[in-house]
Amino acid sequence: MNENLFASFITPMILGLPLATLIVIFPSLLFPASNRLVNNRLISLQQWVIQLVSKQMMGIHNSKGQTWALMLMSLIMFIGSTNLLGLLPHSFTPTTQLSMNLGMAIPLWAGTVITGFRNKTKASLAHFLPQGTPTPLIPMLVIIETISLFIQPIALAVRLTANITAGHLLIHLIGGATLALMSISTTMALTTFIILVLLTVLEFAVAMIQAYVFTLLVSLYLHDNT
Amino acid sequence: MPQLDTSTWFMMIMSMFLTLFIIFQLKVSKHNFFFNPEPTSTKMQKQNTPWETKWTKIYLPLLLPQ
Repeated sequence: MNENLFASFITPMILGLPLATLIVIFPSLLFPASNRLVNNRLISLQQWVIQLVSKQMMGIHNSKGQTWALMLMSLIMFIGSTNLLGLLPHSFTPTTQLSMNLGMAIPLWAGTVITGFRNKTKASLAHFLPQGTPTPLIPMLVIIETISLFIQPIALAVRLTANITAGHLLIHLIGGATLALMSISTTMALTTFIILVLLTVLEFAVAMIQAYVFTLLVSLYLHDNT
Repeated sequence: MPQLDTSTWFMMIMSMFLTLFIIFQLKVSKHNFFFNPEPTSTKMQKQNTPWETKWTKIYLPLLLPQ
């Protein structure tokens, strides 16, 4: 059963060629570039969403932090569209791959830390020691703060991977259970209802993006501004 | 767990780099976000006379002190 359960998370290859690359690139086809002054409905809708999200997210940054707006906006659109497309049956979700999430989390987190170090060295080093700690606790607290800093990118990546993977696994399991229970029809209605509710909840994969970008954003904010 | 099979990691990361850092940013950067129209002052601006817009090497005969 283990083999069947995790089969949907294997990176798809076709005749030895990486099909996964095409699957990763596919969501960008759903975001046409805006060519005209007044675009068609789809592009206008996406433009409106991006404007809404960017106003919400970049409002707390100063001018230096707002140079990251393009990066963060494309990040949230990428993860959001990838997660939502993964809810379709029999599709492959690239964000379930730990490799990709680590590849997103580590460079972005490192960028924020290095920006903070370069521009405000003393202030970013001061993050390792909260104000007002009693003197004997200082060495231990520095160690703890260092660990909590270095765990940030790993937490970002593993959070996204684990959430999406767990959601997809649950859908597979409950769907399988529903099929098995069809011969015993009284519980089938209840199980399909559970599937429906779970799918709706999983639609808050979009909330996952919010969590991802927001966390990244908080980190950037703290390193850049404070 | 198939996610821990490191043979595919390089390919996944490369395709993600391509998509996220290049394709998506090119698409999002093409969006134009316009300012709302604001009222401008109605004072007349000084219009340049034709011989003032072009700089001629020699001189501008109409601008020489008469």
